[in-house]
Amino acid sequence: MCQAGEDYAGLAHREPPPGPRPGREQKCVKCAEGQPVVVIRAGDAFCRDCFKAFYVHKFRAMLGKNRLIFPGEKVLLAWSGGPSSSSMVWQVLEGLSQDSAKRLRFVPGVIYVDEGAACGQSLKDRGKTLAEVKLILQNTGFPWHVVTLEEVFSLPPSVLCSASQEPAGTEEAYKAAVDSFLQQHRVLGVEGCASPAQGEDQPHPSPSQEPPGVAGSPAAAQTEALSRLFTSIKTLTAKEELLQMLRTHLIVHVARTHGYRKVMTGESCTRLAIKLMTNLALGRGAFLAWDTGFSDERHGDVVLVRPMRDHTLKEVAFYNHLFGVPSVFTPAIETKAPEKASIHRLMEAFILRLQTVFPSTVSTVYRTSEKLVKAPREGCATGPSGHNCLLCMCALDIDTADSATAFGAQSSSHVSQMLPASTKMPTPPCCGAGEGQAQSYHRAVGRSGDVQACIIEQLCYSCRVNMKDLPSLDPLPPYVLAEAQLRSQR
Amino acid sequence: MPAPTCSSCHAARAALRRPRSGQALCGSCFCAAFEAEVLHTVLAGRLLPPGAVVAVGASGGKDSTVLAHVLRELTPRLGITLHLVAVDEGIGGYRDAALEAVSSQAARWELPLTIVAYADLFGGWTMDAVARSTAGSGRSRSCCTFCGVLRRRALEEGARLVGATHIVTGHNADDMAETVLMNFLRGDTGRLARGGVLGSGGEGCALPRCRPLQFASQKEVVLYAHFRRLRYFSEECVYAPEAFRGHARDLLKQLEAARPSTVLDLVHSAERLALAPAARPPPPGTCSRCGALASHTLCQACALLDGLNRGLPRLAIGKGRRVLQAQPPLPGNRSQATSDPVAPRGPCTCEQSRDGATLCRDGGGQAGAPCALQSDLSATE
Amino acid sequence: MAAPLCVEVEFGGGAELLFDGVKKHQVTLPEQEGPWDIRNLLVWIKKNLLKERPELFIQGESVRPGILVLINDADWELLGELDYQLQDQDSILFISTLHGG
Repeated sequence: MCQAGEDYAGLAHREPPPGPRPGREQKCVKCAEGQPVVVIRAGDAFCRDCFKAFYVHKFRAMLGKNRLIFPGEKVLLAWSGGPSSSSMVWQVLEGLSQDSAKRLRFVPGVIYVDEGAACGQSLKDRGKTLAEVKLILQNTGFPWHVVTLEEVFSLPPSVLCSASQEPAGTEEAYKAAVDSFLQQHRVLGVEGCASPAQGEDQPHPSPSQEPPGVAGSPAAAQTEALSRLFTSIKTLTAKEELLQMLRTHLIVHVARTHGYRKVMTGESCTRLAIKLMTNLALGRGAFLAWDTGFSDERHGDVVLVRPMRDHTLKEVAFYNHLFGVPSVFTPAIETKAPEKASIHRLMEAFILRLQTVFPSTVSTVYRTSEKLVKAPREGCATGPSGHNCLLCMCALDIDTADSATAFGAQSSSHVSQMLPASTKMPTPPCCGAGEGQAQSYHRAVGRSGDVQACIIEQLCYSCRVNMKDLPSLDPLPPYVLAEAQLRSQR
Repeated sequence: MPAPTCSSCHAARAALRRPRSGQALCGSCFCAAFEAEVLHTVLAGRLLPPGAVVAVGASGGKDSTVLAHVLRELTPRLGITLHLVAVDEGIGGYRDAALEAVSSQAARWELPLTIVAYADLFGGWTMDAVARSTAGSGRSRSCCTFCGVLRRRALEEGARLVGATHIVTGHNADDMAETVLMNFLRGDTGRLARGGVLGSGGEGCALPRCRPLQFASQKEVVLYAHFRRLRYFSEECVYAPEAFRGHARDLLKQLEAARPSTVLDLVHSAERLALAPAARPPPPGTCSRCGALASHTLCQACALLDGLNRGLPRLAIGKGRRVLQAQPPLPGNRSQATSDPVAPRGPCTCEQSRDGATLCRDGGGQAGAPCALQSDLSATE
Repeated sequence: MAAPLCVEVEFGGGAELLFDGVKKHQVTLPEQEGPWDIRNLLVWIKKNLLKERPELFIQGESVRPGILVLINDADWELLGELDYQLQDQDSILFISTLHGG
């Protein structure tokens, strides 16, 4: 009778790999000729050439299927130096090369964000990494932007305004854009078409393409402010989340100021499955489709796109290895942290471990994520439109009817604990300070409490939980504080 | 490090830090807050209207013990009557001790107690018998699947028996959090779409059910029991818990250690998940045999019992279910339970199904009788 | 040198099953080089009281996640967890939250 393994419809136990068959050499399952070099999915062995075709096809199919990147459009590739985003840059590079039968038709640029200050790297180490980064960037021939995370301290509050969205992305608009692009192509010829791209024919970008001041070191004061912010955060979980948000704001800002309409990020399918489960545990259930879907329109005029979402980490690693894709290792904020230090680390370790027992774990989670939608769940009220979370920019998912929030899982501890505590507390009678001094002290506390409260009010459930791990919100970059006040006055 | 003073009464020494808010409270302030929150859950969700006769699913374990105790404290505020209903699954050496615990609780709290037994309800099938049948020998992982489905049915029958209008169960926030994690890991979109709701309104012939402890984490439930000096039965069931839930539970405990509010954060996520219309389960129909809510021709309980009686116990779970569903060949009936369109309701394998359905639907007042047909089938064993 | 300590160690919520079903243990911790804290109490418990499946009680140097620790009836999180220094006549309660429903 049937026994184990049936309890989990979606998760089949790993079968022992088929042993080498005696007397017959295994061939590539695709072409039945080549020597297999990589096993993907359940035991499908591919040869080098077939694997490359498979890998490239996946990337292009993802873009083709979604029809979001218009021909001639400027696209900013967010490159971290890591394997997946390096592979993505490489795919674009190959896709644009002349001998490619179906050339990609958008105009890429690359952005690299130096997060060294948040990760506690020394200036010397950061310099070393940047030298490597720039060497690779130069070899791509794409225009590039190297920015330091410190620049969040000079961002304008408008970064946090979701610019009005144009009705882009409809089927008709896409077709019209393709047609006009082809027309232009015929009239101008190849050279003419390439000229707006700037990157393709120029092996090295002109220095003017770099935003001013980025090549040099950031101002020491900003580096200090950033590292003060990150060292003040009590948990690695909140550090990680804040880092992601600041990084996104900065990238969106650079994209906006340089006329990029799309930003591509390199999250693999494995990474997205981990992110989905992590965000679930962080209370971001309402936003999973935004956080992990193919496209993310929360910023309005700049759309984030995730074209690597069909590739597994294993495929990426093999591709990069087989085809010599260059990447740069940079220590991340959590690199040396123990597994238990953050929700992110725990979930990553859990999923990867489960994947070794149930090889379909990642794909099951990934497929489930495809069934999620961006619209709020029926019956869940959201605030009036335009009221988005100050940090993650998703619609506020907090209302009085919300039962999980009713008892203050996310309760603004700054407000409920600091403020009432300081106001309720009777002035110590033994306090030698004069009346005036005490009053000014209370006013100061009240003011900073007000700012805190006004920020907290403008955050979604999950961001409120994160901000609880900041003893004070004052070290946040000025644009966040300024926008919070602007909004509260509106 | 000396313990801080309670941030609520500012008098007593704090005894714990609340996972959800980080507030340090003393034992009695914590218990008061805990009770107030259960009250709020019930009132805000309009879970138990005044005058309701509430059947409390009592297992003797910590959750149901705390639930019964808190609701009893809140009875005057809520204007409800309580009735404990315990289910005897027929697990030798385990259930007897648990039932003893329930009996002594009922006596101490002066609450009426009714015990319903699988053996009586399901034509002689005890869990031990089910286990023998599913595994041949030893204990099978699928026991929990059977037991869960049958217990749900048994509680329903028990509640009817005592004339209850509502059923409450002791599921806490950890249970909900584990479930949402598991459903993602297994890709169970149907359950994800339904998950996160406080209770079901009682469609069809089912009584409304709710989980007043849904926002209380396990840690708080256990601490409440500790500070209120509640005695509960804490032995593990002899049939080891479902392996997969074990994975989710371990993960949850580690997440909670890294961030104490995680349990509630997961419950919040579950409440807010939005699934594409296509992924949502079809509106439930009725079981062709007993008339209970069912997303297939047969409800889960009837399908399981059917399999057991035919000597093919795995028929109704996992892949076996497909075989069962496919038996009357239905056009377009896809194999995956979750992607089923509104299942075309073919004739039940049993010819008398209509009668069975009628019997059960009208059987609300009949003492503990499952549908007559079901008993007939069971008797053929 | 720390003098010997008398403390009460109690197990509940099902954790007692790993200790032969015995809930309360009056124990005397021997004289040792440094002060007694929860960290080395756990080592001592593992060596002297724990009867079976130590991984269900201790993981790494701490208790298994899901086991609550109360020191003199207060959550150990308020008292420095593993670093809490034991005093004579302290009572330490371990409650498992992992059993039963």
